[in-house]
Amino acid sequence: MKVEKSGFSMLSNLSIQYDSNYSRSLRQVVLKLTLLVVVGSLSGCGGGGGSAPTAFQRASNTLNDDTTVPDDVDTDVGSEVWTPGVFLDASIFDAMCAVPVAGSGDVLGTSTDENNFLRSYSNDTYLWYDEIVDMDPSLFSTPDYFDLLKTDDLTLSSNFKDNFHFTIPTDEFIALSQSGISVDYGAQFALIQSNPPRKIVVAYTDPGTPATAPGSDLARGAEILTIDGVDVVDGSDVDTLNAGLFPETAGESHTFTVRDLDSTVRTFTMQAAVITSTPVQNVKIIATASGDVGYLQFNDHIATAEGGLFNAITTLLAGLGIADFVIDIRYNGGGFLDLASEFSYMIAGAARTAGQTFEEITFNDKHPDINPITGEALIPTPFHNRSLGFDPSLAAGTVLPTLNLSRVYVLTGSNTCSASEAIINGLRGVDVEVIQIGSTTCGKPFGFFPANNCGTTYFTIQFQGINAKGFGEYPDGFSPANTVIDIGTVVPGCSVGDDFTAALGDPAEARLAAALNHRVTGTCPAASGISPTSLSKVGLLPSDKMIVPKTLWLQNRIMSN
Amino acid sequence: MQRFVTLIIMASLLAACSAQTVEPEVPALITNPGPESLQEIEQTVSIALNSTKVILAADALTKNSVLVIERGMQRSIDRTPVMGRDLGRPYRFQLIIDGSQCVLVDQQSGQHWPLATVECVKEL
Repeated sequence: MKVEKSGFSMLSNLSIQYDSNYSRSLRQVVLKLTLLVVVGSLSGCGGGGGSAPTAFQRASNTLNDDTTVPDDVDTDVGSEVWTPGVFLDASIFDAMCAVPVAGSGDVLGTSTDENNFLRSYSNDTYLWYDEIVDMDPSLFSTPDYFDLLKTDDLTLSSNFKDNFHFTIPTDEFIALSQSGISVDYGAQFALIQSNPPRKIVVAYTDPGTPATAPGSDLARGAEILTIDGVDVVDGSDVDTLNAGLFPETAGESHTFTVRDLDSTVRTFTMQAAVITSTPVQNVKIIATASGDVGYLQFNDHIATAEGGLFNAITTLLAGLGIADFVIDIRYNGGGFLDLASEFSYMIAGAARTAGQTFEEITFNDKHPDINPITGEALIPTPFHNRSLGFDPSLAAGTVLPTLNLSRVYVLTGSNTCSASEAIINGLRGVDVEVIQIGSTTCGKPFGFFPANNCGTTYFTIQFQGINAKGFGEYPDGFSPANTVIDIGTVVPGCSVGDDFTAALGDPAEARLAAALNHRVTGTCPAASGISPTSLSKVGLLPSDKMIVPKTLWLQNRIMSN
Repeated sequence: MQRFVTLIIMASLLAACSAQTVEPEVPALITNPGPESLQEIEQTVSIALNSTKVILAADALTKNSVLVIERGMQRSIDRTPVMGRDLGRPYRFQLIIDGSQCVLVDQQSGQHWPLATVECVKEL
């Protein structure tokens, strides 16, 4: 049985960061052994004083490679004085915890040790490390100190540059599932307004789940009126509402009253189950007077999407050929970047992408060539022309089909995020004309390698993705050209609000209808896309544009009084 | 005599080589899906990956010998995945059959995990 030390490391090789964390753990072991020798030597020389060494004593005077120690800085063993601008190696403080996690290999330390870990780690890897104001780690609780370890700079739209600084309990972060499997109903709810008077509707469903089973028959646009007898619109029992919306265990039953799109009001009981999501849905060819238009709904960059995308493009190629392609990623918050690359290749084709970069990640200026987490050379992600083996239903190395399109329509919203935005940016990087219909995307050209320490997993932005043209500055998101306020990086297209009165893929649904009209007339309806800021102004669900507070797990409890 | 000894040595070497030949692993599918076998596979994956919790479909490894494992999809307040730009790859296990023994193989580490309650047949 393989037992691995926790702290920095977690699931070992689940993905790239785990390998790196493992190596860091090894480094930590080496360092701590070194420190033991140092401390032991000092004891042997009569310097131990009889008491347990402090964190800084254990740390000795090991410093970051790139740190120059001024002559007047005390780095002697025993120094516990915070010295602004001087950073010991983060690994020295790794797993030194005020409350060690039992069985994890943590050792007893202090909250200051935990803060020092975060301080050094941020100084080494945070994308904007030079915009952090260095503060004394002994003066703050660890959650408060982590909050300080970020930039407060603003974007051109006066939003915070860093909206993605948060933590999650490690035992939740390392939970695993078979790809596409979760405990749920199979319905995604849109909280159009999360505080009274609330409005919650069904955004979409997954086929073959409790949500679509006879008796439930939930469909897009159905409004949730009560949950377990509590009034959704004005009720004060938010715990009951949250428990009903977000079940945690298979077999949980909750009673819903809903109003369907045809105004029928009905009550039924729905039981949560282990469900299989369908990340690629609604693949269809829409016949128009000006040629067939392909459409698909792509919800998540999870492993099983690889086969779904392959099958979808194969289906679209089976006809006489499509004149245009509409990809609906309005609810796609991202996931595996390699899948975004594969899909983009399938859209653009071999000629446009040969030898081109899909996305290149860049770290801060301390790490121009080497990924500081994995230790690997920074190599751009190409447009993958063969499957990588994410989905077991599709053999690794399978040649991917291509539509060879010079333009594509993308339907977007504020949930269009990260790897989904990489599709837009990657295609624009190789001169595929991207026409955006919907509202401004979330604005996340960034990523991180989460770090575990003392039972908490920390997310701090470490890299930025840029396309083949070297562009990656879209922290305000991508916005259709006629967006009225809070405009991010402008992309040709139309600002159109989400339309819950029609099914996704229905040519009458407002965003798809706008795309179908635009491809013929080149015109847009009156701008109606809601930008993230205006969403929050009218009391709607805070979007990714807002700072995601710490303790992320609590945020899945999204109802408020 | 010398030729005889040489032959014996060569025969011994050949026998050793033969014994060391690695048989190709035979992909397999579960034939007794149920709570007991599912729980054993979940526990095995959890131990192999040092995780706290693993959720599998009830029909896991009954249609495909490969099991793809991802991090549970934590989502932010508006249900956006927290790991929106994941540069890694999912974890893969494969069920194989060795004689009558069903074994879960960690495809990254190569580690083999014999299963006690799982029954399986060769994947066609």
